Amino acid sequence: MKRRDFLKTSAVAGAALSLNFDGLQAALSSNTVAVEKAPDLVAVMGGEPAAMLDKALEALGGIGKFVKKGQKVVIKPNIGWDRAPEMAGNTNPELVAALVKQCLGAGAQKVTVFDHTCDNWQKCYETSGISDAVKKAGGIMMPGNDEKYYKEVAIPGGITLKNAKIHESLIDADVWINVPVLKNHGGAKLTCAMKNYMGIVWDRRYFHSNDLQQCIADICTWNKKPVLNIVDAYRIMHKNGPQGKSLSDVAQLKTLIASTNIVATDTAALRFFNQVEKLDISAVGHIGKGEALKLGTSNLDKLTIKRIKI
Amino acid sequence: MKQTSLLKRLRVILAILFFVPIILYFVDLANLLPDSLHGLLHLQIVPAILAGILWIIIAQLLLVLVFGRLYCSVICPAGVLQDIINRIYCIGKKKKNGKRRFRYKKPMNLLRYGLLAITTLLAVFGSIELLLLLDPYSNFGRVAANLFRPLVIWVNNLISDVLMKFDNYTLYHVTIETITTPSLIAGAVVLLLFIGMVAWRGRLFCNTLCPVGSLLGLISRYSLLNINFDKNACIQCGKCEKSCKAEAIDMASMQVDNSRCVDCFNCISSCSKNALHYSINPLFKNKEINKDTVRTANVSSSRRSFLSTGITVASTVPLAAAFAEQVNGQKRHRKRAHGEGNEANWSPVTPPGSISLERFKDTCTGCHLCVVQCPTHILKPAGLEYGFDYLLKPHLSYNSSYCNYECTVCSDVCPNHAIKPLTVEQKITTQVGIAHFIKHRCIVEIDGTDCGACSEHCPTQAVKMVPYKGDLRIPHVEPEICIGCGGCESICPARPARAIIIKANEVHLLAEKPKEEEIKEVVVDEFGF
Repeated sequence: MKRRDFLKTSAVAGAALSLNFDGLQAALSSNTVAVEKAPDLVAVMGGEPAAMLDKALEALGGIGKFVKKGQKVVIKPNIGWDRAPEMAGNTNPELVAALVKQCLGAGAQKVTVFDHTCDNWQKCYETSGISDAVKKAGGIMMPGNDEKYYKEVAIPGGITLKNAKIHESLIDADVWINVPVLKNHGGAKLTCAMKNYMGIVWDRRYFHSNDLQQCIADICTWNKKPVLNIVDAYRIMHKNGPQGKSLSDVAQLKTLIASTNIVATDTAALRFFNQVEKLDISAVGHIGKGEALKLGTSNLDKLTIKRIKI
Repeated sequence: MKQTSLLKRLRVILAILFFVPIILYFVDLANLLPDSLHGLLHLQIVPAILAGILWIIIAQLLLVLVFGRLYCSVICPAGVLQDIINRIYCIGKKKKNGKRRFRYKKPMNLLRYGLLAITTLLAVFGSIELLLLLDPYSNFGRVAANLFRPLVIWVNNLISDVLMKFDNYTLYHVTIETITTPSLIAGAVVLLLFIGMVAWRGRLFCNTLCPVGSLLGLISRYSLLNINFDKNACIQCGKCEKSCKAEAIDMASMQVDNSRCVDCFNCISSCSKNALHYSINPLFKNKEINKDTVRTANVSSSRRSFLSTGITVASTVPLAAAFAEQVNGQKRHRKRAHGEGNEANWSPVTPPGSISLERFKDTCTGCHLCVVQCPTHILKPAGLEYGFDYLLKPHLSYNSSYCNYECTVCSDVCPNHAIKPLTVEQKITTQVGIAHFIKHRCIVEIDGTDCGACSEHCPTQAVKMVPYKGDLRIPHVEPEICIGCGGCESICPARPARAIIIKANEVHLLAEKPKEEEIKEVVVDEFGF
């Protein structure tokens, strides 16, 4: 064997050995060559909400990976407070509207948006700008103000929380997308993807009176998990959360984090938040408790992360 | 067209123009109607007097002086409601027993003027309870708010459930939260009273119990326009007498008691001979000619009633004063009984704009307009828990919701100005009460777990989470910036008793505005992970 041939052969063999079996399988089944494996978590910085969403979804393999034609989709933003978008009390309306359009573009049968608000629900829907934006984008705003809209489900994986009344749009949905805003929180310390689950249940007082942090982790074990978590950090509320008092509580950071791994999402969001306001991960008890319930990992080093700056 | 049916039609049209918006305003569960509609309610006489809106009082007096008691048939929603009840009652009945079923009765002057005098005196001496129970507008309000509104909500919920199946959320499910047992009873009793009195003797309420009717009756005797007989044309068939809801037409003597006539014009429509006219009061026409009639018919009876009323009034002054004194004494007594730390005995939290508990007690007649208009449904009509002098008046109940930070709806709509209008700026510094934190009931203290629901809901951060054991944080109240909105109390999960409760300020205070913090530019270039 000539030296050149030897080199050629070993190069091919080496390449073959380094081939990821999953990738090969995917490439074979879809008959296309996967150029790059989709990352576990994507972070985008420096753009407008809709542009950052586009980048993130593109990196994750497109909205079609999460929403299929004819599906009933629910988007669950945070619309908890009677606060204008500048106050960052609620998820950015432009982001929600862009996501509604993406889902409809992917062929969703319908896209429903709701939250169990803290302030008067009509005021929240209106002042947040979400109601208008969603309706313009072709989505449906559903009320969440009455117990009637909530149905009892079992939470077998929960430690403290065993049952909860969950909004029926989610129960009927084929897929749902969790779209929190990143904020400081007086009770839970941080509110992000896991804490956003509290807006899907009717009785929140139970959470507060039965170990809040455990209940937050418990509700996230509900068997219908979001297909994607998208964190709005276009503006973040770094103190006096979750309502905020004034614009001095808000920082405009133009960032978005997306992942299917809810614990990783919150961990990454917390690390990002830490650059503005120091907060220990152990204080945000639900992240650790969520990891213990195998909802995901807080060890970001184990994950493929794609960071995009616009 | 005859003058006759034209007048009645005009009255009916005007009545509809007033009544429909008012009743819709009370049952408007989705807040579709403009807030400015409360202007119609400022025209009501008792509210106008209590609010001291002079031009409305003068305008109403002039209206009576010119037209008679048209107010009772057009502007007063309780009057129009009684006409509707009468109309319904007459359906399917033959004319003889149905529509034309009344007979002339003598006025019950002692009762009506006596009640008017006692009501007025009590109100002047600072005890408004009797007025609250008799005021026609407030009674209508309680019927609309506590009986009609739930009916509309019920229908709304039925329809919204159907629409929901088609993903239409134009209508949405509404829970009935604002009705209490006392308010329901109050509404039901009044509606039954109206039905009973109307079925028995037409506008009996308006000519006996109603203080507004009695007051206007005193003036309408001398109104410029009233209903007069054309004695030459009249054949004494009696149709007019039988059609008179006020039982004020005496066919035999061809006299109309103007103090009781509510200008419904049914008599004019009923007369086939055109013998009744709405025209200048003979008092003003030619004194010479009419002297006799006036003296025999009007003056003698009115002098008698004036005398008897005068005597009644005179005799009730000390009585009313004594009663008012006793009620006021009870107030003082109750105040003393409020023990510190025992919130069961705390006074009611009165709406922002009511200035003080005493003032609110003296001006609110419990029409429940604020109760139905409050977007967070926290105004609840009281029973006897705060004493007889707070009966049916609304108080802020933080059981399931709280007073929206920048909302001024109740103060905008209150027709009595018992809740004075506030600007948003004034509202967010009006301290109706102060949050009291009871640490030994708090979840953080008892269970050693995170909670913070109270602070989460605090719009001024008067309730703030401060470092406690380990990573735990516990609520701390800064009373100076607390406005008593009840956000904290409404969400506090501690049971059986909540760990944070609003204690009313019996006189509202000015809260400090939360300190403005400097806006710092925050720059972050890295993801941090």
